[in-house]
Amino acid sequence: MRWSPLARKEARTVATSKGVWLLAILLVLWGYRPSYVGWDGLGANITAGYIQVAGTVLLPLGVLLLSYQSIVGERTSGSVKFVLGLPLTRTDVLLGKVVGRTAGIAGPVSVAFLVIAGIGLVDHGLFDPLLFLGIVFVTLLYVGVLVSMAVSISAVVSRTVTAAGAVFAGVFLPLVLFWTRISTTVFTQMTGIPVNPFEPPASGPLFFLLRLSPAGAYHVVSNWVLGVGNSANMYSHVLTKLQPQTSTNAYVVEATFPPGTAPVYLHEAVGFLVLLAWLVVPLGLARYHFTRGDAV
Amino acid sequence: MSDVAILTEGLTKQYGSMAAVEDLDLTVERDEIYGFLGPNGAGKSTTIGILMDYIRPTDGRVRVLGRNPRTDVVDVHDRLGILPDRYSLYDGLTARRHLEFIIDTKRAGDSPETLLDRVGLEDAVDQSVATFSQGMEQRLALAMALVGEPELLVLDEPFTGLDPHGVRTVREIVHEENERGAAVFFSSHVLGQVELVCDRIGILHEGRLVAEGSIEELRTETGVGPDGTVEEIFVSVTGGHAPVEEITEVDR
Repeated sequence: MRWSPLARKEARTVATSKGVWLLAILLVLWGYRPSYVGWDGLGANITAGYIQVAGTVLLPLGVLLLSYQSIVGERTSGSVKFVLGLPLTRTDVLLGKVVGRTAGIAGPVSVAFLVIAGIGLVDHGLFDPLLFLGIVFVTLLYVGVLVSMAVSISAVVSRTVTAAGAVFAGVFLPLVLFWTRISTTVFTQMTGIPVNPFEPPASGPLFFLLRLSPAGAYHVVSNWVLGVGNSANMYSHVLTKLQPQTSTNAYVVEATFPPGTAPVYLHEAVGFLVLLAWLVVPLGLARYHFTRGDAV
Repeated sequence: MSDVAILTEGLTKQYGSMAAVEDLDLTVERDEIYGFLGPNGAGKSTTIGILMDYIRPTDGRVRVLGRNPRTDVVDVHDRLGILPDRYSLYDGLTARRHLEFIIDTKRAGDSPETLLDRVGLEDAVDQSVATFSQGMEQRLALAMALVGEPELLVLDEPFTGLDPHGVRTVREIVHEENERGAAVFFSSHVLGQVELVCDRIGILHEGRLVAEGSIEELRTETGVGPDGTVEEIFVSVTGGHAPVEEITEVDR
């Protein structure tokens, strides 16, 4: 690929930055969260569950912070003139940035996951390595999605502060942190059906809405790999919900829909497609904008 | 047309109601060193930005090395080297890494050591550019422009931040590259150097080309006399003594 040297430079720049290693350390501290419900539900595979915990709030925040400057930063500093002076199309530049930055973040993040695996091995014994690798794969895909979204924003704004505001107020807050609240509110507004999170209505559209965010889709797919249940919530939440005689505010398909009545589009594989859409669609829109008009 | 390094016809770039470049016709031959002069804000960097496809023209036609710099950007940039203006290097990387980045992308066979030797940075090959002085940055940026034996060198304000040694280095390299067969297009407002380097100059004023030709020709046209300096020509065509309209007529 013409953009491979750009991707390599980008990856090296990120992987040698302090920020990404700080993120890796925090991921270990954040992710390692033993729980009785997790141990009861997953046994030694709770170690793989830690990866999902790590990927839940801290990882998206860290990845977005490590990526939002990638293009607008070069535009404001002027170094973009070297990149755009190379035999690369602007699309090449976008691809090189996304791939390089994803690789540069994925390396240190994988090291953090290895450390979690080591701790889990000592604490809980041998886990299913394929299942663990599956979770790591899904999580790294999620990293790629977040990088792609941040780079897309970075390519279409003209000021660094705008990019920071957009990844925080346009991605992190609504799509990662408050998506459940937003989607239940939207659902109630549109249908007039109130949503009690402890006893949610068996509504396909509501459950679909909940898993349309990248964070929701990540949970659906990683819960699928963990085998805990079909839900956009965290695995420990799902396990709690599915225990008899407990009540919690999680939206789990098996707990709400009688067996065999859940619509097909709530299948976990659709979560994978949602993730792919978040990988491609924002980048496509950014490409449309970035390849037109002035780049400096 | 393929004999021309740079060709623009009616090139215009509007920013809102303001024209940074207006109706610019420019021809740079494949074997010449062309000095693109003008006061600050005359539109030099805008023009170079359009040639490089950093920015897109509002109107007009552009050809660089016979190709459209927008649709044939890969081919055009493969064959040219750029020293941009108001750039910034990658603080975390060494001089060698900077050059390797360009060399690898262009799939050129240059050695970073040789290139750095040419610009007088042979002692700073593995030094991080974070420690570089402005002059060293400019030398490295020039070395980056030389990667891949370009057919066209585009140098935007190449003398910026250089001491007299650096200025001489740039001059020597421009001549070497030209003798190798490259066209050189550079912008400058350091007029004293221009005479020593250029075959031909064009003077841009308020987005329009107000004079073009060899220094000899321009001395005659502007009436500054046989000993007139580029500075005198410059002042005379950019509104120092004569109204711009009159000069424009003389030149066209």
